[in-house]
Amino acid sequence: MSALRRARRQAWLIPATIFCAPLAAALWFGISDSIDLTAWRQLLADTQLPAALRLSLQTGIASTLIAALLAVAIVTQAHGSPRWHRLTASVGGMLALPHVALAIGLALLLMPSGAIARAIAMFTGWMSPPDIATIQDPNGIALVLALVLKETPFLVWNAAAQLQREGQGDEIEKQLRIAATMGYSRRSGWMRIVWPQLLPRLALPLLAVWAYGVTVVDMALVLGPTHPPTLAVLAWRWLLDADEAMNRQGAAAALMLSLCVAIGACLAVAVRKLGRPALMSRWTRGDRPASPSHPWPWHAFMRAAYLAIVAMLLFISVAGVWTFPAWWPARWSAQAWLTALASAGTWSTTLGLALASATTGLVLAVAWLETTPASWDARAAPFVFAPMLVPGVLLVGGLYELALRTGSDGSLAGIWLAHSVYAAPYVLVALAPAYRGFDPRIELTARALGKPRPVMLWRVKWPMLRAPIAAAFAVGFAVSVAQYLSTQFVGAGRHASLTTEALTLASGGQRSLSATFALLQAALPALMFLAAHAVARPRSKA
Amino acid sequence: MLELDAVTIAMPERVLVRSLTAQVAAGEVLTVMGDSGSGKSTLLGWLCGDLPAGFLASGSVRLNGRDVLALPTAQRRIGMLFQDDLLFPHMRVLENLLFAIPSGEPRAQRIASAEQALRNAGLDGHGPRMPASLSGGQRARVSVLRALLARPEALLLDEPFSKLDAALRQRFRAFVFERIREQGIPALLVTHDPQDVPHAGRVVELKEEADSA
Repeated sequence: MSALRRARRQAWLIPATIFCAPLAAALWFGISDSIDLTAWRQLLADTQLPAALRLSLQTGIASTLIAALLAVAIVTQAHGSPRWHRLTASVGGMLALPHVALAIGLALLLMPSGAIARAIAMFTGWMSPPDIATIQDPNGIALVLALVLKETPFLVWNAAAQLQREGQGDEIEKQLRIAATMGYSRRSGWMRIVWPQLLPRLALPLLAVWAYGVTVVDMALVLGPTHPPTLAVLAWRWLLDADEAMNRQGAAAALMLSLCVAIGACLAVAVRKLGRPALMSRWTRGDRPASPSHPWPWHAFMRAAYLAIVAMLLFISVAGVWTFPAWWPARWSAQAWLTALASAGTWSTTLGLALASATTGLVLAVAWLETTPASWDARAAPFVFAPMLVPGVLLVGGLYELALRTGSDGSLAGIWLAHSVYAAPYVLVALAPAYRGFDPRIELTARALGKPRPVMLWRVKWPMLRAPIAAAFAVGFAVSVAQYLSTQFVGAGRHASLTTEALTLASGGQRSLSATFALLQAALPALMFLAAHAVARPRSKA
Repeated sequence: MLELDAVTIAMPERVLVRSLTAQVAAGEVLTVMGDSGSGKSTLLGWLCGDLPAGFLASGSVRLNGRDVLALPTAQRRIGMLFQDDLLFPHMRVLENLLFAIPSGEPRAQRIASAEQALRNAGLDGHGPRMPASLSGGQRARVSVLRALLARPEALLLDEPFSKLDAALRQRFRAFVFERIREQGIPALLVTHDPQDVPHAGRVVELKEEADSA
């Protein structure tokens, strides 16, 4: 009996090892591959490096700052108002749109022959697309815009999650009321009282946004500058090169980006610490500035942008010949949809990988949550957040090396492993609050009725938690569908998914087909979220 | 002076406060008592300009001759103390107090006012400490100082003693009433504990039917 108990007590080692081992190995391989003096010399001598690094930092800094400011403005305006619930619901929908789909849709809107240029042409009389680089511009403005559109909802969602934590919303409302009785406007209260408390709790999501902004590849391939591209795109190209020396240079560039991310994070912490006295002096100087009477409806802008992007994808997917500056295509065509729907291999690969990775993530997450106390989640945090914080170009190199060593490179099994490394942490993050919050007295009641643990789990706990379990599965599914780097690199380009197809077609200029694949890429996770919602509905009383 | 005239607060299905009329003089504490759900806290919320959704209120409220009902919370100059001290956890004690003191004076003078208030409250040297490092009683005193340093023209007390233990409660009550007298502002205290009523203080009890003081 005591041996059984001991074994149960050590059971957490199984999910922890399965979860951490591939990730740790990938990180180790990724970093060790990039520590090569010759490769670093070659990288530092590359004439594209200064401009590419500047672009990476520029887009990362601009997108992080703008997304953070917008998230602050949106939450400040909406929290505590009747709009708040509508906003949090719509943010979920925005998050469900994959990065690549958003980038392709935005490109179709912004490009010189896109919808915006056609609208302007009505007033300017342009008869041909303007000769302006509205996408892939040398300063990366289009890329920054796309990153801001994608990351602002992510930060708003994280802030909402913090505010919805037990008692947090009430506590904040009371603090705001206290500030109001002292003569502070609601906006001043948020800026001086709420955000200084909330922002430190958003450190990890902010770090993830910063890391993604500096190291993004998939969106940069569609919207980013090309001569030179950002350093992440250069690193990606070098990693794909047939020449091994170039591969090592790519690995070194990936490590350089990781160091930039780390240095940026350290600088942010230092600025926050050093800037505290100045900020505090400002917050406590006793002035009572009034709120602007007509604040900008930032959230309405975001929603309009997302609607325009999806509408553009739908429109282009069925547009045949569409000459500039016409508002309407000369003819419509269902060819792109027929071609996409006929790509059975792409569909089945995407679906199979997503189902397998989400299942793996869910099993690991449930196993971790069942075998460890809540206090251990903090210990797991570095591993949980690693795939979100470590640049994709670095981690994917390590995953490829791992696949090589296990003989799974170029195979679906290797891609499944890589997708699972990315999906599992998201599933855990999505499931943990509800799973940890499950009333232990219900478990105890079931056990007291003589039900063994597996029966209690199967008949009581998991059915009661079916809504968060289904939602977490959908999150893992969506993460897998959106994977580009790992599918392409670990799969050695042998297995096409909806995401890799959409990106390849976008780079090749096949607008209708890339729009169709982008829509399908967005539709699969959306359908899974709908299915999760249906599973979560209470059972009929009849 | 705080003047309430024919104040009525109702939910769609029942009336909580019916035609309450009261006058609270400067330095006086008027106690409002009643059972849970009788509308005591709702009354204070409404006076602060924060009537919860689903409630209806009517009547007039004048503070030193000003009709305050038309003003937003931030302009009413009515301070509030809750059961919880609600000190801002990211600010030191001194910073919490400076937050309350209106601008218009040099910073050094504002700091001197805050430190003087701490000294008078027996909290000398506690300014640089974070709220989390204070005892419950110390935090409660700081919250009173903060509310008063904002120079309100009236103070509303929503069961501020209910979370303190018996010994501390008595001392803290005396501390609060003394500060209100010193400041010379009217105060409305909501409680369901008769021991909280100040000596020789007036009491309004909220029942099904109208009461007036």
